[in-house]
Amino acid sequence: MKMGKIRPQFSVAAVLLLISLVIFVVTAVATGEMAQFSLQGITGLLQRMVALGLVAVGQTFVILVASIDLSVAAVISGTAVLASWMMGGDPAMIVPAVLLCLGFALAVGLVNGALVAFGGINPLIATLGTGLILQGVLSAGYGLLGGSVAPAFQHLAYGSLFGIPWSVLALFGLGLAMAFVLNRTVLGARIFAVGGNPEGARLAGIRTGWVILTAHVICSLFAGLAGLYLAARVQAGTPWLGRDGIYDLESIAVTVIGGTLLAGGKGGIAGTLAGVFLFASLDASFNMLGIDAFLKQVLRGFIIIVAVAVHAIRGRGHVA
Amino acid sequence: MNPALEMREISKEFPGVRALDAVSFDCLPGEVHAICGENGAGKSTLMKVLGGSYRPDAGEIRIGGSVMRLTHPREAAQAGIAIIHQELSLLPHRSVTENIFMGHELVRKGFAGMLLDRAAMRGRAVALLQRVGARISPDDIVAELSIAEQQLVEIAKALLLDARILVLDEPTAALDDRDARHLLDLIRALRGQGVALVYISHRMPEVAAIADRVTVLKDGRLVWTRPQAEATIPAIVSAMVGRDLKDFYPAAPASAPGETVLQLQDVRAAGLPGISLSLRRGEILGVAGLEDSGKGQLARLLAGDLRPEGGTARLAGEPMPLGNPRRVIAAGLGYLPADRKREGLTLRQSVRDNAALALRAMRPAWARPGAGVFAKEALDAGLSRMDVRAAHYGQDIGALSGGNQQKAIIARWLALDPAVLLFVEPTRGIDIAAKAAIYQTMRDTADQGRGIIVVSSDLPELIGISDRILVMHRGTIQGELPRGASEQEIMRLSLGVAA
Repeated sequence: MKMGKIRPQFSVAAVLLLISLVIFVVTAVATGEMAQFSLQGITGLLQRMVALGLVAVGQTFVILVASIDLSVAAVISGTAVLASWMMGGDPAMIVPAVLLCLGFALAVGLVNGALVAFGGINPLIATLGTGLILQGVLSAGYGLLGGSVAPAFQHLAYGSLFGIPWSVLALFGLGLAMAFVLNRTVLGARIFAVGGNPEGARLAGIRTGWVILTAHVICSLFAGLAGLYLAARVQAGTPWLGRDGIYDLESIAVTVIGGTLLAGGKGGIAGTLAGVFLFASLDASFNMLGIDAFLKQVLRGFIIIVAVAVHAIRGRGHVA
Repeated sequence: MNPALEMREISKEFPGVRALDAVSFDCLPGEVHAICGENGAGKSTLMKVLGGSYRPDAGEIRIGGSVMRLTHPREAAQAGIAIIHQELSLLPHRSVTENIFMGHELVRKGFAGMLLDRAAMRGRAVALLQRVGARISPDDIVAELSIAEQQLVEIAKALLLDARILVLDEPTAALDDRDARHLLDLIRALRGQGVALVYISHRMPEVAAIADRVTVLKDGRLVWTRPQAEATIPAIVSAMVGRDLKDFYPAAPASAPGETVLQLQDVRAAGLPGISLSLRRGEILGVAGLEDSGKGQLARLLAGDLRPEGGTARLAGEPMPLGNPRRVIAAGLGYLPADRKREGLTLRQSVRDNAALALRAMRPAWARPGAGVFAKEALDAGLSRMDVRAAHYGQDIGALSGGNQQKAIIARWLALDPAVLLFVEPTRGIDIAAKAAIYQTMRDTADQGRGIIVVSSDLPELIGISDRILVMHRGTIQGELPRGASEQEIMRLSLGVAA
């Protein structure tokens, strides 16, 4: 049997990984920060990926069905606030709080998915709307929702196994699982079909609405996980946690940098995680160089534009 | 033998048009049945009824002898009907295997039927590709295949679902000769395997070579169905065009046309290997051709919407700046597109705004609004000269009839006093009475010393209005006919049959 061609998706991921490593290594060597190459340095770098990585894995699913989710930042803040409030420092409340948070994320995903798939509302507007509503309710209700997570729960953010943080293991484990879902399951095949040619998918008998709804639920659940992780990190969630991290726009940016088409139907998890790794390496490098926060943002903006321009030029001829 | 497919007395009416009038059609297993007809004869409506996209107003469909009600494309597919359209429904970024199995993936036992059985799918894909004679790998990405190969993937998709009725709509339109021959071989092979094949094509030599029976449709009615021996090319052509000319075209001009106003010399562009033509003031030049003849490309080229790759063009005595709509307009050509709603009008704006569109585009942005040529009075005068009928000219143009919309667009261009007007399908979707008014306006504007080009699929219209007709075939001008040419002559040239 002839070997299958290597999916372009993997080559995009490999190139991004290589570029990120070069940036990181060169900066570390140039600034003489050799400590960056210790196990601690490397895991520190990887830990920078966790929150954005979780959101971006979910975002990849909605973008693959040619939708988008702008409400992820509000979902992150919402789960973080809910988790802190419900635990109130009591370890016995960890499980109920986690269930409540995931239930909340699931509900938001169902609403987003229903609006987009069955309400016929443009996803940009629908998820902007749900995001604004959540943000408003959270900000207004924050006075009543104070509290902090149980100390044991913080283990999620700071604990590790053989020197590798739990959170990093969780990100890569979940990433692998979702890549499996995309490439080896019927759901994955239908996600690519719906994003690649909605009319063709419909004529092939695929219930496109349900596929889009499922993608939105997956996206919101991953945003919820990111919210739980951040709550564990900061101890007490605030309504501005997601917004200040720009998780909505950055998750879209890394997904597109990773080679997923905004028009849907092409892309995958490997590229997205490579895009997240690029952002993490840049952040670490900017820190080593002591670049000021505003200039950091300017450089990030340039990098997003360059990366997407490279994709546009590579894919010329059949950019959807 | 029982027919695989029987359509009995199918009728379908759209507002104002009887698209199908009691048309009957059948196809046997192991038979190629060709459907011929001009644009608008009802071929695609009939196939949309068969594919479950349209519900017929009357008539019944039998598949393998039993009556079927096809209300959704999915039901048609389940009944064993596969329609291969000119626009393919593939996933460009996915592999051939993934495309063939879209929506019908094979799964492994257990795991709640959620895990793909990729090895099994790849294996069946290899077998299907072999059956359609495609020399491609099941792992190839579809976007990297040629159109011909993509079409074979589409046919493989149909065979996976065990389609017993396969409809091919102009399958060779986008193919070169060699690929077209391969496709015909495949069709013969499928016929040998007992598939019922419905073949829609404008290419007469192909129809003659492949069809066992031929059906001709005209104006939504069945003209005849004949076995191949009795369906000669001349018989098909005359059945396709046999229609009375209606007497509402303006008379030919009394005087001879003036100087040359537009001239193309060996202009080349995508899909147009070399176009030379000339147009004189006072002349109406018709351009005929079938759907894939390149007449649409020629219109886009003249309108500046298609980049030329060589050759020279002159308009009103100056070199013509092709490849840029704005500069073409500035040089003196007004374009009235076929799809008025999408390309011609700003539907939610007033009649007056629509009439002012070209003026506003071409005059400086700092020109005083509401004064000079922009004055309400000037715009309204132009509209009433064209006899545009509206409650008032501040009304949304979307509320007007097609005929009045078209007249408003003519007024828009006349405000710029162009040397040449280019009409594409000028009376599509316009009722009979308004058609006559449009034709008279075209004649009048020509008589004022302008050159007019009419690109149309409506042969009686072209014959009635044109002083001269160019017939296109495969991107070139196949021939030129004088005023008074017959539909047969045009059809023969547009089918590529030597005159």
